[in-house]
Amino acid sequence: MPITRTFTRPRKTVAGAAMLACTALALASCGGDDGDSAGGSSDTLRLWHYEGQNSAMGIAWDEAIRIFEEETGATVEFEEKGFEQIRQTANMVLNSDQAPDLMEYNKGNASAGLLASQGLLTDISDAAAEYGWDGMLSESLQTTARYDENGVMGSGPWYGVPNYGEFVMFYYNKDMFAEYGIEVPKTFDDLVAAMDAFVAEGVTPLAMSGAEYPAGQLFYELALSQADRQFVDDYQVYENPVDFGGPELSYAAKTFDEWVKAGYVSGDSASLKAEDMGTGFIGGEFPMVYSGSWWYGRFTDEISDFEWSTFAFPGSDLHPGSSGNLWVVPTASDNKELAYEFIDITMRPEIQALLGNNGGVPVAADPADIKDEKSKELISLFNEINEADGLAFYPDWPVAGYYDTIVGALQQLINQSASPDEVLQQLQGPYEDGVAEITG
Amino acid sequence: MTTVTRTSQPAPTTDPPTTRRNRDRHHRGAARWIVLAALIAGAVVMLFPFGVIVLNAFKSPADYSAGGPLALPTEIFTSGMIDFWNRVNFGRKLWNSFMIAGSVAVLGVLVSLFNAYALGIGRVKGRLAIVVLFLMANMLPQEVLIYPLYYIAREVGLYDTQLAVIIIFTVIQSAFGTYLLSSVFGTFPKEILEASALDGASKWQTLWRIIFPISRPTLSVLMIFFFIWTWNEFFIPLVFLISNDNQTVPVALGVLQGQRMMDATTTSAAALLGIVPAIAFFLIFQRTLARGITAGAVK
Repeated sequence: MPITRTFTRPRKTVAGAAMLACTALALASCGGDDGDSAGGSSDTLRLWHYEGQNSAMGIAWDEAIRIFEEETGATVEFEEKGFEQIRQTANMVLNSDQAPDLMEYNKGNASAGLLASQGLLTDISDAAAEYGWDGMLSESLQTTARYDENGVMGSGPWYGVPNYGEFVMFYYNKDMFAEYGIEVPKTFDDLVAAMDAFVAEGVTPLAMSGAEYPAGQLFYELALSQADRQFVDDYQVYENPVDFGGPELSYAAKTFDEWVKAGYVSGDSASLKAEDMGTGFIGGEFPMVYSGSWWYGRFTDEISDFEWSTFAFPGSDLHPGSSGNLWVVPTASDNKELAYEFIDITMRPEIQALLGNNGGVPVAADPADIKDEKSKELISLFNEINEADGLAFYPDWPVAGYYDTIVGALQQLINQSASPDEVLQQLQGPYEDGVAEITG
Repeated sequence: MTTVTRTSQPAPTTDPPTTRRNRDRHHRGAARWIVLAALIAGAVVMLFPFGVIVLNAFKSPADYSAGGPLALPTEIFTSGMIDFWNRVNFGRKLWNSFMIAGSVAVLGVLVSLFNAYALGIGRVKGRLAIVVLFLMANMLPQEVLIYPLYYIAREVGLYDTQLAVIIIFTVIQSAFGTYLLSSVFGTFPKEILEASALDGASKWQTLWRIIFPISRPTLSVLMIFFFIWTWNEFFIPLVFLISNDNQTVPVALGVLQGQRMMDATTTSAAALLGIVPAIAFFLIFQRTLARGITAGAVK
């Protein structure tokens, strides 16, 4: 350690410092050389994604890499990235010669849409037609793959291909329902009755997190239960102005407020993270949690003390959900053809089945290939919703930065520091400003 | 105690001194206990997050979900830590962090020393304005700097190199170093400088033979701060070190934060691995730190 010497033996300080500085320069210039050579080669595919190694996607894509290398003879240079890193740096990376050939990216107007409108992503419409991806994906899944010139999803050329889907549902603890002799709800009234029964037994029925996405998703689902597809198109892709005092959103705010007052949701949950909500359900403290299919794998792995299952929000045709993240091909990609081939492999039935059997929600799997019982349950629920065109996306999508607005407003509803009308007002302003900015 | 007994000698009666002595000792004792209790409470508060990390680093994910973050682990679970080490090639990240933080510490102190010599001792015109300028550079949030820095680095071909990060942090850290050292050197005794001038020392000789040895304790402390601050930096390395092979420890930890999932136990294990080197570095040099940041004037 040259630095040690710096302090204990003064005369060597300058030499030590110079040495360290030189090493730094030498090392850094090495790094520079590496960077230059990484871009060019014609038979390597530089691939980035940020799914965990043991997640459904991680497992399925590992296998896709193996098949790809075997079939094309090309090598895949894979780097596992962090979600936060991609989110923060994507537009800078894609604008430089360090851009990968193929990467996973977050779907939605503020993410993939923004990059597409900046010209950083390749228009892959031709490849989508050639490989037939447009026939494999349902209408609502295609919504997030296509973006217009303003980066608004739903129309325009293809910029990405989703491999998996996700949606939000109720998870329930079968043992707790049995213990208190409460029926699993089939209708909305059943649901309210079941929650009343739990409250009467002194159990808070619904695990909740006010500090992150769960409260917003429940609020949105309450609105969706009163809405039709046109409301979703108005809210998400700005077809008509949204009336925040209208029957959908005012019902959602009032009902959410009633649920807090009735004790269905704990007032303390305003500051809880989604992680706390999930561990609360895993630990058996709450009989129900309303959250996304991204929990499915973890619940399967970590819940061993009780039986659990799922049901979709009763009495609603629309549910928060969408395609998963997208494969996108950066404009700066050197190997676009290889990238398309790789995407096509991930859409094959065997890769899709692998994804499904590991707790993911495949978009193009043959249901007969899904062997795992728990996974079958999840995938058939998703298919039901998807076939009914029931995926309604997420509440924070329409406007950049809206996530924080929703979290802030609903926290006040959970700790009862604002009335439903005040909350709707808080939600309305930023939404309208943001939409005006996008549609001009 | 001895002083108290001595003061009691002139007084012939025994009773009053004893009570006074007792009261004194009791008084001082109570205050001491209060200070001690406050210190312990402070230490517990400071160590609490660290304790939680250690607790969760050795827990299995199922154990964490079942018992929550504060429960004691039912068994010592180390495979999370080992998996993480292999998954991100942690040895490489440690070396990267060490290279970057070490280079910045040395270069930053060197640049600060030169600047402060000019500003604090050289008495350049408008030095107050210059010092304020340096301080502003240090106070700007990094988010403001990031896009221009990215653009410059890309244009000169340093994007995705450690050299870019080293240069940026050398400048940022030495802005603070210059500010601090300039004010320390501003009070440097003139007699010494005059003596060296009389002996015929050049400016360069004065710096290395006189100022450098005398201010060495301050410089060492500065170097340690620069090392630890740079070690913990997240945002600029996140943006500039794109390739996994170039990344530093805090950026590698970012891999664990998923879009909707957080892996609390592996994150704790990784955080523990990440702070151990910085703590070790601190413990090794704590004696230097204890000498104080403004030490070094003539006695």
